[in-house]
Amino acid sequence: MHKKRREKVTSPVITLGDDGLKLRWIGLVVGVIFIAAAFIVSIPFGGFQRFSHAYLLNFCFYASIALGSLFFVAILYLTRAGWGVTLRRIAEYLAMGLILMLVLLLPIVIPMFLGYDDLYIWNAEGWSKDYAVPVEGSVDMHATEKMEKTKSAFLNSGRFILFNVVYFAIWIAAATFFLKTSLKQDATGAKKISLRNQAISAPFMILFAATLVFASFDWEMTLEPLWFSTMFPVYFFAGSVLGALSMIVLVALMIQRSGRVTAEITIDHYHDMAKLMFAFVFFWGYIAFSQFMLIWYANLPEESFWFEMRFKPEWVGISVLLLFGHVLIPFMGIMARTVRRNKNFLLFASIYLLLMHWIDHWWIVMPSLTRETGAMYFPIVEVLLMIGMGGLFMSSFCYWAGDRPLVPVKDPWLGEALNYENA
Amino acid sequence: MTQSNTEKETRLVGLLAQFDDPDSLMQACESARVDGGYTRMDAFTPFPVHGIDQAIGIKRTILPFIVLFVGLNACLGGIVLQWYTNAASFSPIFPGYDFRISGKPTWSLPANVPVIFEIIVLSSAFAAFFGMLILNKLPRLANPLHRISRFKRVTNDRFFLMIEERDDNFDLEQTRAQLNDWGAVEVEEVNEDMTDRKFPAVIKTALILLLVVLMLPPVLIYRARGMVSRSPRLHVVPDMDWQLKYEAQEIGPTTLEGRKVETEYLFPGQSAAQKQLIGTVSRDEIVGDSELTTGIAKDNTVPNLNAIPTSRYQEPPGGEQKKQENPPEPKWLTKFPESITVNDQLLARGRERFNIYCSVCHGISGEGDGFVNKRAMELALTGKSEWTEVKNLHDPTIVVQPVGKIFDTITHGRATMGPYRDQIDVNDRWAIVAYVKALQELKLTPKPKEDANSGDGKTDGGKKADGKKADGGKKVEPKVTAGKGDAAKKSDPNKKSDPNKKSDSDKKEDKKSDDASKTENGKKEDSADSKKENKSDDG
Repeated sequence: MHKKRREKVTSPVITLGDDGLKLRWIGLVVGVIFIAAAFIVSIPFGGFQRFSHAYLLNFCFYASIALGSLFFVAILYLTRAGWGVTLRRIAEYLAMGLILMLVLLLPIVIPMFLGYDDLYIWNAEGWSKDYAVPVEGSVDMHATEKMEKTKSAFLNSGRFILFNVVYFAIWIAAATFFLKTSLKQDATGAKKISLRNQAISAPFMILFAATLVFASFDWEMTLEPLWFSTMFPVYFFAGSVLGALSMIVLVALMIQRSGRVTAEITIDHYHDMAKLMFAFVFFWGYIAFSQFMLIWYANLPEESFWFEMRFKPEWVGISVLLLFGHVLIPFMGIMARTVRRNKNFLLFASIYLLLMHWIDHWWIVMPSLTRETGAMYFPIVEVLLMIGMGGLFMSSFCYWAGDRPLVPVKDPWLGEALNYENA
Repeated sequence: MTQSNTEKETRLVGLLAQFDDPDSLMQACESARVDGGYTRMDAFTPFPVHGIDQAIGIKRTILPFIVLFVGLNACLGGIVLQWYTNAASFSPIFPGYDFRISGKPTWSLPANVPVIFEIIVLSSAFAAFFGMLILNKLPRLANPLHRISRFKRVTNDRFFLMIEERDDNFDLEQTRAQLNDWGAVEVEEVNEDMTDRKFPAVIKTALILLLVVLMLPPVLIYRARGMVSRSPRLHVVPDMDWQLKYEAQEIGPTTLEGRKVETEYLFPGQSAAQKQLIGTVSRDEIVGDSELTTGIAKDNTVPNLNAIPTSRYQEPPGGEQKKQENPPEPKWLTKFPESITVNDQLLARGRERFNIYCSVCHGISGEGDGFVNKRAMELALTGKSEWTEVKNLHDPTIVVQPVGKIFDTITHGRATMGPYRDQIDVNDRWAIVAYVKALQELKLTPKPKEDANSGDGKTDGGKKADGKKADGGKKVEPKVTAGKGDAAKKSDPNKKSDPNKKSDSDKKEDKKSDDASKTENGKKEDSADSKKENKSDDG
C-alpha cells in the first residue's frame, strides 16, 4: 500500500559509539605495525627507494579517496541533491582524512627537502640524462639539457612543497567547513546553513579542479619529469571519484551490517551509488583510453615512452588487467538493475573496484622505480603499506565520526532522501 | 444531412474510470489487479505516481535488453565494418581499401576503437528511441481516449484508470459495477471510430514526395560518377578559396576573383618569399662529405643536371639544357660512401622507409605495382588521364644503375617522381638505396643462371599463356618505352616473373650501362615534355 512519508531519522543507533573508539585504536596499531613491517621488508627488497615509491603509491591511493569524497560532498551541495543526504555524512568523515594525508605527506616531502632524488629524480640536477635510454638518442643531449633547465622552474622542491601546502590548506579548509556546518545543522536544523553551503560549493569546485590538476601533476606525473599528458588530471580525477564512491558504499554497508542507521540508507541509495559507479567506471575507461590512444597515435618519443615502459613484458599483463578488470568487466557487471540492487553484490563490487583503483595507482607509480630494467617486483612492500595506511585511514574515519551521528539528522532535504525511490 | 444516414461504425475499446486523487486511483489499481484479476489496463495521471506500475502490475520493460543486444551487435558491426573496409581483400565484389599508407599496418585495433565506440553509442541511442516508440505502439495518428472531453484534464488534475475490452475478465456491466465499487467518480465507455480508417491522402502524398526528393542526391551522385565537366567548379565559400594572402612562390595577393593583383614584390626576384641566402645550412644538414650528400664521386667533373630542382610546383629554370640529347652523366658512386655501413640494421631501416615513402608507387617489392600506379594506369587506359608509368625497380636499366645514381634519383626526383630530399634524411636515403639493391639482388639470385631465352621457354613457358611469354620476350630489349603500350603490359597481374627473365637475359648486356643510361635519359626527356599535360593527374 502507499507508504507513509518519513521525515525523521528513526534508527535506534546512529553513531559509532564505543566500537568507533575500539576501531580507532585497532586502526592505529595496525597502521604503525604494518608500516614498520613494510619498512623492514623493504630493506632487503629494494631499499628506501622502493619504500618511498610504494609509500607514494599508497599515499596517492588514500588521498584520492579522500579527495573523491570531498568532491562527492561538494557535488551534492552544488546540485542541491536531495537523494544523497543520508550518505553525505560518511563522505564528510572520509574527506576529513585529508588531515591525515597532510601528515602522511611528510615522509615524502622531508627527504625531498633534504635532497633525496631517488623518488622524484628531478630533485637533483642532470636528471635529463636518465632519458637517454627511452628516447634512443633521437633527442640530442643539448635539447634535453635545455628542457631540464626550462622545466626546473616548475620542478623544484621549494615549489612542490609550497604548492602542496596550498592544496591541503584549501582542501582541509573546505572539508572542515562542510563538516562543521553540517554538524551545526544537526543541532539547529537551520535551512540557511544548507543554502550557504550550496552557494560556497560552486566557487570551491573551481578551486578543487585547479588544485587537483596540479596535485596529480606533482604527485604522480612528475615521477617521469620528461613525460606530460594534459589528460592525466582527468584520469586521476575519474579514478579518485570511482574510488571514493566505492569506499562510501563499502563504509555504508559495513555500518549497516553492524546495525547502525539501518532505516536511513535504503536500497535505492545504493542503487544510485551503483549507477554513479557504473558511470565512473566507464568515464575512467574513456579517459584512460583517450590518453593512451592519442599518445599511441602521435607516437612522440617524449610521450610514448611512458606507455612503452608499461608494455614491457613484465608490466603488459597489468596493463591488460586494467583494460579488462577496471573497465570492461565492471562495465558489464554493474550494468543490470538487479545486481545494482543487491547488497551482497555491491559489497563485492566496491571491494573489487577499490582493488582495481589500487592496481591503477600501482601501475602508474611503480614502473618509475625500475625505469632501467623494466622489472616488476612482487608487491609485498606495497601491500603491507596499503594495509598499514588503510588502518590509519580507518582510524581517521572513526576519530571524526566519534560520537557524532552518521547521517545529517536535521538536513532540510532529509525527508526527500528518506522517501527516495528509484523508478 | 448525410451524416445521419451513414451509421457510425464503432468498436468498444474499454471502460475509463475517473478518480479525484492519486490515492484512490492507486487503491482502485490494486483492487483491479488483485480482486478483479485484470491484466490489460492502464492508469493515466498528471504526474508520475510512485508505485503505480507495481499496482497495475506492469512488468519491467524489455527495452534495456533490446539496447544491450543492439549495442553488442553494433560493437561487432563496427569491428567488421572497419576490418572489411581497411584490411580485407578477398571480396571480388567489394575489394575494400587494403592500401598501405605511410608504412602503417592496415589493421590496428586501438585506432578503430573510437569508431566502434561511436557506432555503439549511435546504435544504442537509436535502439532506445525507436524501441521505445515501437513498444509504445507509436507513432499513432489518433487515440480514442482523446475523443473523451473529460479525459482532457488528465494533464491537469484528474486521474484515470482504463480497463481494456480485450482483457479476458472484461464484461461491460460487471466491470462497470466493479469500477464504481472501487471508488470511481465517473465511468465511461471508450469507443474507437472505425468508419474511416484509411491513411490520410495528404500524408501519403507528402511521404511519397519526400521519398522522391530523398532519392535525388544518390541519383545525381551516380550520374556524376566518372563524368568530365567543363564548367567551373562551384565555389560555396569564395573567400576561403581565394584568400587575400601572399603565397610563398607568388608575386602578390590573390583577389577574390582569382586574379593576381599587380603589386610590389615583397622580395626581389618576383617572390613573396625571401630567397635562401647562399651558404645557408639547415640545422641537421650534413656538410662537407659531398659523396655522402650527392652520391657523386669526388673526382667528378661533369655537372649533375638532375640536381636542378624539378618540383612539380616549380618548373626547372634550365629548360634549354634539358633539351640536350644525351647529357653527360656525372661520375656516380658505385660503392656506398664510407660513413654508411651496410648491415641488417640499415636494411631494416631502409625497408621501413621504403614502405613509407616508395611503396605507394613502386610497390612493396619494387615491381612498380604500388596502388597509386595501379589506379593511375587504370585511368590512363580508359583515356581519362595521362600517366607516365612508374618504374619497375627490377627493370634492367635500374638494376645496372650505380648506387650513387639511385641516391640522386631519390634526392632530386626524376620525370614525374618528385624530389624526396626534404622528406628523407641523407642516411635514410642511403638506407633505401641499400634496400632497393637488396630487393634487386633477391630477384636475381634465386634463379639458376641459364641462357635467357631457353630459361624463358622451359621454366615458365609451360605455365604461362603464350601471350605473356611473348611479352616477356619483347621486354628483353633494354629500351624503355613510356606510354600506354608499356602500361598495358605492366598492368598485367600475372607478370610477376617477367623481371627475372628480363634481368637474366640482360646480364650480358649489363656492361652496356651507357646504353641503359641513354635510354633512361630519353625517358626523362619524354616525360619532362609531357609533364605539363600531366600536371593535373599526377597527384
